[in-house]
Amino acid sequence: MRKFIFIALLAAVVVVTMGCISSPEKSGNATSSEKTTVNITTLHVGYQPSTHQIAEMVASEKGWWAEDLKPFGVATVDEKVFQSGPPEMQAMLAGALDIAYVGTAPPITAIAQGLDAKIVAAVNINGSDLVLRPNVTYSGPKSLEGLSIGTFPPGSIQDIVMKKWLEDNGVDISKVQIHGMGPGDAVTAIEAGKIDGVFLPHPSPAQISLDGKGRSVVQSGEMWPNHACCSLLISGKLLRDQPALVEQIIKTHIKATEYVNAHPDEAAQIYAQKTGQNLAMVKESIKSWDGKWISDPTIQIPSTVEYAKIDQKLGYINKTLSKDDLFDTGFYVKAVA
Amino acid sequence: MGLILAWQIAAAAVNDKLLLPSFLQVAAAFSRVWPTILIEDLPTSLLHFLIGMAGGLLVALPLGMIMGWFRAADRILDPIVEIFRPIPPLAWIPFAIVWFGLTDTAAGFIIFVGAVFPILINTYVGFRNLPRVYVESAKVLGATRDLDLVRYVAFPYAMPSIAGGIRIAMGIAWMCLVAAEQFGVSSSGLGYKIWSYYYLHQMDYVLLYIVMLGLLGLLIDKTFRYVVEEKLLKWQVGLTQ
Repeated sequence: MRKFIFIALLAAVVVVTMGCISSPEKSGNATSSEKTTVNITTLHVGYQPSTHQIAEMVASEKGWWAEDLKPFGVATVDEKVFQSGPPEMQAMLAGALDIAYVGTAPPITAIAQGLDAKIVAAVNINGSDLVLRPNVTYSGPKSLEGLSIGTFPPGSIQDIVMKKWLEDNGVDISKVQIHGMGPGDAVTAIEAGKIDGVFLPHPSPAQISLDGKGRSVVQSGEMWPNHACCSLLISGKLLRDQPALVEQIIKTHIKATEYVNAHPDEAAQIYAQKTGQNLAMVKESIKSWDGKWISDPTIQIPSTVEYAKIDQKLGYINKTLSKDDLFDTGFYVKAVA
Repeated sequence: MGLILAWQIAAAAVNDKLLLPSFLQVAAAFSRVWPTILIEDLPTSLLHFLIGMAGGLLVALPLGMIMGWFRAADRILDPIVEIFRPIPPLAWIPFAIVWFGLTDTAAGFIIFVGAVFPILINTYVGFRNLPRVYVESAKVLGATRDLDLVRYVAFPYAMPSIAGGIRIAMGIAWMCLVAAEQFGVSSSGLGYKIWSYYYLHQMDYVLLYIVMLGLLGLLIDKTFRYVVEEKLLKWQVGLTQ
């Protein structure tokens, strides 16, 4: 009897404690309809140390985020760097990020799990390479059977693009040992000669090539022309509460993208300084990749919707996601008008 | 039962699968994947665990005995052990890849790093704490060689300490499974699936595999205690009860 009372008391304590904890997004939504919207003073930005997302870093280092967003009440821009998309999306699900520079694949699984956010602009297309060790022969997709290839985990853009390309070319995927891992582990594995190849976004292919540990044999734009890669994702709360701020964020992103395309050497310098990566390697990466920095989200819609269909077919998500579930292009249209 | 009830009530109060999946959601997830857990994930994880523990025993037992028996060896090896001991298993992942590739051995190596030190330290302590009078008594009874003294006196005396070290090591090794299975060594395993479902933000499955890790860790511990403490070390019962 005493044990039961103790457990019941413990349960009550847990319930009372947990009842005080709630998702920041949910509590925000619960009150915004009742109160006047409170503009944010700190903008939380997530990004990854990839040449794909140079626009974010240029906007930051040039002071454009701070300068352009100040009239909207943003006093601080707090940047958080993530090594890959899933933890970045987990942070956004937890309400810790307002905007995210991220591959288009992680938002698909996050939005399927309830993330309140939309892709509002594109960041880049293509930009990943299949790199094989120098002594591994390549004579077309079929020659990959029997090899071991490291790439990002299942559900990532690289995983989807590569598997689709292999299937389209009649390759038996069960005969290709595909290891899902992070970029650091994949580069380590190929440079140590422990796997035959990797399929990774730049600048990793350039690093491996300059180290003499591999050479690029196929670029992702050849596998799937103009496939979506990184995009600009903004929280639903910001979209609803501060549309003018969102429009300015997109304008700043467009300005940064145009600047990167016009000044690739300076962009490489900024990137190398911000990430600590080797400048020569970054310049080589930008010279050799097939990627393109863009801002128009409509370019990414077809391939992103296809990623969502593949995710559903593979069981990674349990619902159909349409273009409108993933994108909101209205802000971009206003920004360029 | 009380814990499950508290969990379900708390999850209902939170009402957010991201923050806290409920017991019922986790049970539903289990009902969908239990064959995969039994046929694929559990054997893979047990393999990695056994490789790591076997390596830990093979290295730590002799090393701990040598350090515990010979003071000179202790003076030489102790600083080296203490340099490596605080390094977390996670930090060894790059070397696991470089030395062992993307293999089960690489995963086992990470678990080995977690398991080796508790066994080593407890073996050392067990030997070091051997009362002098036992050694002298054994010598009087004719056991004059070091090998005989270790075999008939020191090792049996140190067994409870060694068993304690192995038990701690098993707990740490099981914890290291999550780190060991995150860098592409396999496409199954309890730790691998935690990362895999985390990438898909399916927190009910993440919590399911966390619970499975905990329950299986408990089973392994109980089994070990039954075999070692209640059978092999049965003689200890009379000392404290």
